[in-house]
Amino acid sequence: MSYGPPRDVSVDGRLVDGAFGYLTRATGVCFAIVVLVLAIVVLFHRSRGGARVPHYTHGDRPRHHVLTALTALAMFVGIDAVLAGRSMGHLQSRFWKWPDGDPKAVRVEVTARQWAWTFRLAGPDDRFGTRDDVVMVNELRVPVDRPIYLKLRSRDVIHSLYLPSFRTKTDAIPGSTTRLWFQAREPGRTELGCAQHCGVSHYKMRGELDVMPAADWEAWFWRAVDDARLHAGADASVQLDGWDWDQG
Amino acid sequence: MSATRAFDERRKNATAVVGLTIFLGTLAMLFAGLFFAYGVMRAQAPAWPPPGLPALPRGALAANTLVLVGASLALRRARRAENARAWAFGALSLGAAFLVAQALVWRSLVLAGGGPSSGIYGSVFFAISGLHALHVVGGVVALAAVAAPRAPDARRLALCARYWDFVLVVWLIFFFVACVR
Amino acid sequence: MKLVSRIFSIDHKVIAKQFLFLGLAFLAVGGFMAMLIRWQLAHPGALFPVVGRALFGAAGGIISPAAYTSLFTMHGTIMIFFAVTPILIGAFGNFLIPLMIGARDMSFPRLNALSFWTMFASTAVLTASFFVPLGAPAAGWTAYATLSTAIGTPGLGQTLWVVAIYLNGASSIMGAVNYITTIVRERAPGMTWLRLPLTIWGLLMTAILNALFVPVLAAGMVLLFFDRVFGTQFFIAGSTIKGGGDPILYQHLFWLFGHPEVYILILPAWGIVGDLLSFFARKPAYGYRVTVGAFVAVTALSSLVYGHHMFVTGMSPLLGESFMVLTMIISVPAVLLYLNWLGTLWRGAMRLDTPMLYCLGLVFTFGVGGLTGLFLADITSDIYLHDTFFVVGHFHLIMAAAVLLAIFAGIHFWFPKMFGRRMSEPLGKLHFWLTIVSLNVVFGGQLVIGWAGMQRRLYDPSVYEFLRPLLALNRHISTAAFVLGASQLIFVLNFFWSLARGEKAEANPWGVGTLEWTVPSPPPEHNFDEIPVVVHGPHELGHPDVRTRLGKDWLAQNEAFGEEAEEAGAVPEVAS
Ligand code: HEA
Ligand code: HEA
Ligand code: CUA
Ligand SMILES: [Cu+2]
Repeated sequence: MSYGPPRDVSVDGRLVDGAFGYLTRATGVCFAIVVLVLAIVVLFHRSRGGARVPHYTHGDRPRHHVLTALTALAMFVGIDAVLAGRSMGHLQSRFWKWPDGDPKAVRVEVTARQWAWTFRLAGPDDRFGTRDDVVMVNELRVPVDRPIYLKLRSRDVIHSLYLPSFRTKTDAIPGSTTRLWFQAREPGRTELGCAQHCGVSHYKMRGELDVMPAADWEAWFWRAVDDARLHAGADASVQLDGWDWDQG
Repeated sequence: MSATRAFDERRKNATAVVGLTIFLGTLAMLFAGLFFAYGVMRAQAPAWPPPGLPALPRGALAANTLVLVGASLALRRARRAENARAWAFGALSLGAAFLVAQALVWRSLVLAGGGPSSGIYGSVFFAISGLHALHVVGGVVALAAVAAPRAPDARRLALCARYWDFVLVVWLIFFFVACVR
Repeated sequence: MKLVSRIFSIDHKVIAKQFLFLGLAFLAVGGFMAMLIRWQLAHPGALFPVVGRALFGAAGGIISPAAYTSLFTMHGTIMIFFAVTPILIGAFGNFLIPLMIGARDMSFPRLNALSFWTMFASTAVLTASFFVPLGAPAAGWTAYATLSTAIGTPGLGQTLWVVAIYLNGASSIMGAVNYITTIVRERAPGMTWLRLPLTIWGLLMTAILNALFVPVLAAGMVLLFFDRVFGTQFFIAGSTIKGGGDPILYQHLFWLFGHPEVYILILPAWGIVGDLLSFFARKPAYGYRVTVGAFVAVTALSSLVYGHHMFVTGMSPLLGESFMVLTMIISVPAVLLYLNWLGTLWRGAMRLDTPMLYCLGLVFTFGVGGLTGLFLADITSDIYLHDTFFVVGHFHLIMAAAVLLAIFAGIHFWFPKMFGRRMSEPLGKLHFWLTIVSLNVVFGGQLVIGWAGMQRRLYDPSVYEFLRPLLALNRHISTAAFVLGASQLIFVLNFFWSLARGEKAEANPWGVGTLEWTVPSPPPEHNFDEIPVVVHGPHELGHPDVRTRLGKDWLAQNEAFGEEAEEAGAVPEVAS
């Protein structure tokens, strides 16, 4: 039985897995060296009842310092610098490049509360907090191959929207608005959850993410809008609960 | 014999000064944490002070500042003067007066609807001035213990004076951010 | 009367033992809680064997979600603040600082006693927090607002938790003031900064960090207390966005303390291994000055990296990337001192006594723990790994493996000096092997589980479909954890048996040169009949000339040899 993360169904998850893979290999090499050194000293550099004479040195000659410094530098450049460069690149070009002007982006307002997720899509009027909003609880339906742009708020305590199959998460914090975007590579259902401890039922704050083929999603969306309009007549409080997208 | 004793005294003195300095450093960090919180609250607020709150009794606070300055000066005198004990008790009463006046300020604010739970402004005002007052209480107690004997120990008095100077500096910063800027 | 003065002793050696026993007792409590946690993760919602009904009677003997929440909160809190802190800093610091620097006591012995009794009071408050209406503290050891405010945890328990942490911090601050002053002022003649044992350097840096950053935690606790009790709104957001307090402010205050705190816990451990590796490899510590420089560098930088705990709170990209780079930079001094450990071992004449085994275990587990820190420092991978068991694995490998092993090494090593008897080597070795194997399975397993995506602080992972396949692995981890827990009974046995029956120890059973070994075991109340005059560093082992001329392989720090003997004549006599 082998263990590993759930299958990555996102466009950018491979960048995360790539970073993880690089880290595993690079630190693995370092640690293998460490283990080798430990094995040698434990096996061969033993006192054996005082028979062995240790090599007397304080290790404080310039050549010793140069050796230590060079090894540390090699490790810093080989692991840290490579990763930092790579991460900054990916953050700027992907993870933190918000699809603000993108007409294809699907915008979602997320409200977290103990212990449920509310997802809100703007209706045909393209505004949030109006009677045609499509509101889903613990389930988010999105189309495949389009950027999904979420803004998150919380009603009570800090939660964290976690999409393991997309290798991403972000906190939902009372009093401020945070953002997250992702894009699905293929249709299918995956799980979403809460990653930040938010009280006794934190473990139950689970939901589903349904990635649908574009046409199916369109069809569903219009049906949902009709539904919303129908129900909004009696009690629209759920519908009106959104906020102005540009405000946060 | 007496030379080594004088040496010992000086050593002890220096040790106590090192200890107190580190201790004041930790207190400085405590208040730095509080002022940091103050800064964040203020930077994030749409308006500062938030509208609709009772005005701060600036006059009373300014007078209180003078009282605390007086206490510090009195302790300064006490370190040199012949009648150290009298000066120390002078400082002590000024400290006590400060606390009473502070209590009155808080009372008036609470009565005017500007208590600690009235909003973010009340929160910072009461938290910082309250914690500061707690440290003044500590100073009063310590000073009372030091000044009680007929001939107060000069070393302890000097340490007290340093502590009171510190409490004064914290107050001045608070007064500046709360009432001036 | 005699009893009272013994209990409220101001002798640093007695206070050290008080800290030790307090810490060990809470280590046992925290360890037992870990067993309960592991039971729940292996058998969600199943009746806890034997003592289940006694502990969780109201829930019919099973661990309820609320109980689980309190369990990990209290486990983390107890382990960090009430087990490791009193043992590593309270006990070792108090016992070793005066003895190792050649002083008769701390600078402020009464403050020292006050520090212990404040800690004692805080344990009382913490214990009380278990038994109050509306339940024990439940906001995690980090107590993030707004969960830790009245919004998330209305009960008295959480308020008492805040008070307990505040008192605990006050105790640490008193200790820190004392430690720093003592090390600055009371060093024996000739004990220059660069002749201090690494243990003392570690404890000094820890004390400095405690003095600087525990007050920041205290500030956070004061504000949290105000929010809970007086209705202020520091951490409670207003009805409009940015119209009130800010929960994130709490995280800034907490981690501004919290990251230095992790170095507070590791620095004494680094110091102890730094010395012990040299002692048992029978050669001087490699690159002593570089190691000291690394300690200082870590201390200086420690507060600048704290943002790496907050990468997913929506912090600005510039800030996030700065914290990432700074975190990577701070790992450089750690690498330097790590390489120096390896250098110390290289071509030594290693004796595998029990303390050395623990130290080698530490080198191994700190390697894994430290390297996994790099996975978390990288924002891209941390976005995925944050708040998963990968983080749990990372910090257990360092705190619950490396630091704990340093504690075991230290207890084994200094037991003769503390109690005048030696601990059993065979029992020690058995304890070591069982511990090191099960430890790595548990914490290595946590890394795998976290990489597979399991969140931390999850009462019942089987709620998530994608976590269900992990149940088998979780069970293996738990089995290893139970082995780990049971193995600790060997340590307890060894400890108490040796206390009563252990072989009597001579003054210097390990044959090493730091000053505590120049006085009898246990030392007399005033430590040194005559204040020693120090002539060289702490690691004079294996010098070829010493071997040929003295027939032993070590020099005490105050033992002049060769040229030093001539120089020593020039050291002025001390008064008294
Ligand atoms: C004593 C405790 C301790 C120590 C020393 C460290 C050390 C480090 N920690 Fe850790 N950390 C914690 C305790 C500790 N940590 C805790 C308790 C948490 C979680 C808190 C919570 O949320 O509850 C945490 C969380 C944590 C996070 C946040 C994760 C998250 O919540 O998402 C991050 C992110 O950057 C991090 C990074 C690091 C780094 C880079 C180091 C570095 O200092 C490590 C440096 C060490 C090395 C780099 C390894 C040594 C070198 C070698 C093995 C060299 C071999 C080389 C050759 C042969 C070439 N830690
Ligand atoms: C130094 C700190 C420390 C230590 C030593 C440990 C030790 C252990 N921890 Fe702990 N743990 C934390 C600090 C620590 N932990 C923290 C900070 C958290 C996060 C909490 C939070 O999320 O808020 C955590 C959370 C945590 C979790 C995650 C819970 C969750 O997120 O759902 C788990 C799960 O496996 C766990 C397991 C264990 C295990 C199996 C041990 C084992 O090593 C325990 C083995 C048993 C012992 C070590 C007892 C030994 C006893 C003695 C030796 C007694 C001697 C007595 C005398 C001589 C009188 N811990
Ligand atoms: Cu919401 Cu955890
Ligand atoms: Cu950190």
